[in-house]
Amino acid sequence: MRSIRRELLVWLLLGIALAVAAAMVGTYWRARDEANALFDYQLKEMAASLTDAPFAAVPAGAGTIGAGSDAMVVQIWDRNGVQLFLSQPRRVLPQNAQLGFTTLSTESGPWRVFSALAAEQVVQIAQPMSARRELAASMALRTIIPLLAVLPFLAVLIWFTIARGLKPLDRVAAAVARRSPTLLEPLPETDLPREVQPLVGALNDLLSRLSHTLHAQRAFVADAAHELRTPLTAVHLQAQLAERATTDAERAAALGELKDGLERATRLVEQLLTLAREEPGVSEVPPASVDLAALAREVIADLAPLAGAKGIDLGLSSTAASMVKGGADPLRTLISNLVDNAIRYTPTGGRVDVVLADDAGSVVLTVRDSGPGIAVEDRERVFDRFYRGNGAGGIRGSGLGLAIVKQIAERHRADVELGTGIDGRGLGVTVRFTQPIPGSRCREELSSTQKIV
Amino acid sequence: MRVLLAEDDAMIGASVRRGLSQDGFTVDWVEDGRAAELALAERVHDAVLLDLGLPRKSGLEVLSAMRRGGDTRPVLIMTARDAIADRVAGLDAGADDYVVKPFDLTELAARLRALWRRGVGRADPILAFGVIELDPASHETRVRGQPVSLSAREFALLQALLARPGAVLSRAQLEAKLYGWSDSVESNAVEVHIHALRKKLGADLIRNVRGVGWMVAKPDAPQATS
Repeated sequence: MRSIRRELLVWLLLGIALAVAAAMVGTYWRARDEANALFDYQLKEMAASLTDAPFAAVPAGAGTIGAGSDAMVVQIWDRNGVQLFLSQPRRVLPQNAQLGFTTLSTESGPWRVFSALAAEQVVQIAQPMSARRELAASMALRTIIPLLAVLPFLAVLIWFTIARGLKPLDRVAAAVARRSPTLLEPLPETDLPREVQPLVGALNDLLSRLSHTLHAQRAFVADAAHELRTPLTAVHLQAQLAERATTDAERAAALGELKDGLERATRLVEQLLTLAREEPGVSEVPPASVDLAALAREVIADLAPLAGAKGIDLGLSSTAASMVKGGADPLRTLISNLVDNAIRYTPTGGRVDVVLADDAGSVVLTVRDSGPGIAVEDRERVFDRFYRGNGAGGIRGSGLGLAIVKQIAERHRADVELGTGIDGRGLGVTVRFTQPIPGSRCREELSSTQKIV
Repeated sequence: MRVLLAEDDAMIGASVRRGLSQDGFTVDWVEDGRAAELALAERVHDAVLLDLGLPRKSGLEVLSAMRRGGDTRPVLIMTARDAIADRVAGLDAGADDYVVKPFDLTELAARLRALWRRGVGRADPILAFGVIELDPASHETRVRGQPVSLSAREFALLQALLARPGAVLSRAQLEAKLYGWSDSVESNAVEVHIHALRKKLGADLIRNVRGVGWMVAKPDAPQATS
């Protein structure tokens, strides 16, 4: 598992180590420059002192300046190139005629050589460069050692500082852990570092949305239980009447009513299931293309007997472009609910039109009837679950039909609007699908109005 | 016993009306709160079966208005909400009893009979008068322990008269007890039933107070001497 603390510690220490290394390199370079300047000056001084006194002969073994690797080597020639003096016989220095400073590379590494001409002699003083490097390196090391000694203390300090900085996260985690699934109150947002505030804010936002959803769900379950009681009560009573029946005719009538009651209860349960299935976020809307005109024809064919029984003129009028993206089943339910409602509320001999049109690239489905319509002040509320209008024509539905329509429409990103129906009377429900599929056009002509019944 | 049923669900309303009618009740059914108030204003019902979720005017509103107006008739609430708070609200608004949906028809009838008994100030479920015993639950009538067969209307008429011995009930009052809105009443129906009752139970049980109505005399009242 990744740990912020460990990562911070590793990267911070790595950074500090790199900085220390960079400081060391820098110190080394500067120390070497300084050593160069110093030793060059020294070489020059020494050459000057040697040229002051003429050499006749130099006793062997004399002239060794210093010892070890940084020992200087002095060489003196006369004009004719005859070596007069060599401080360290074992060292072989090339006879360098070039005056001034030069750097020579030899078998034992680079040497710094200074040659000066004085009187009849050439004085040449050489020193190995390694001497200078060693000096610079030891200077650099001296600067670095205290820094390296502090490093463990820094590590410990970082470790504890990070722990302190992360404490509010632990507090938030504990507060979340203490929460029960039903208690969705916001977490305290006071005394939080700026870095943790957005996390807690987002959590609180989620909690409030969750609480809202949970509340709505609870209300729905309570409403659903209550609504189920009504058809169940009817079935219960009808069963008792069937039990009491003394003649066959009475029993047959009672059983017929019982069957109606069961059908009604079944329908309500189916509608509740549809609502639950079409709940936002339960499942994705299938991205398939669906031909609304074909669905509308199916629905009309299914409901034609119902319309026929009431002498209602039910028909479809569709134009081009009735393809929408979505699920065939929910969209069929949507159309079916609208047409079924229209037939139910339209008095005998009335008319119900299903119209599919293309409006500025949107597919628009309209179901219009010649029924009593819905008062303007009720139009918003009819989409609420279990809301029933004030006994329109004595017809009492489950109060779920339009709620289901709205929910399916929302899932398909379609708008639902209520207006007036045929000839300014009745109800007209318009569903506008704002997501047309380009390039898929349904070849249906404007004039192809089908009439059933 | 005539009952006003206020229930907006067609299936439940029809079933309750049929079931209670089979139990000998006369049932009038209304489907919304306003219609219930209009029916209550007629003052012909002995008890009210009230659904709380009525359209146009809720059951609780109807009940409160009833009690504010001094109407003391027994009210039995039918509710689909079984939360204690809902039941308490109903009882506190003036209801005498409640049933929670789904309920049993026989229980509903028994509760109505109990409400009626309390309404007329009795505790004994058997309505006894001299040698006559009436059991509203089983619809049995006995004279000196011997069962006598009465029609549903005859039974209801006798029950109305025996409920308050000494009180004179007019023809209109008796008709109101026997017939619901949907029943057609023949002009001399009450007389026909009283005639039948006299034949089965004895001529001097039900007395005619001329021009006013009928009554059964209190047992301790002095018997009219010929």
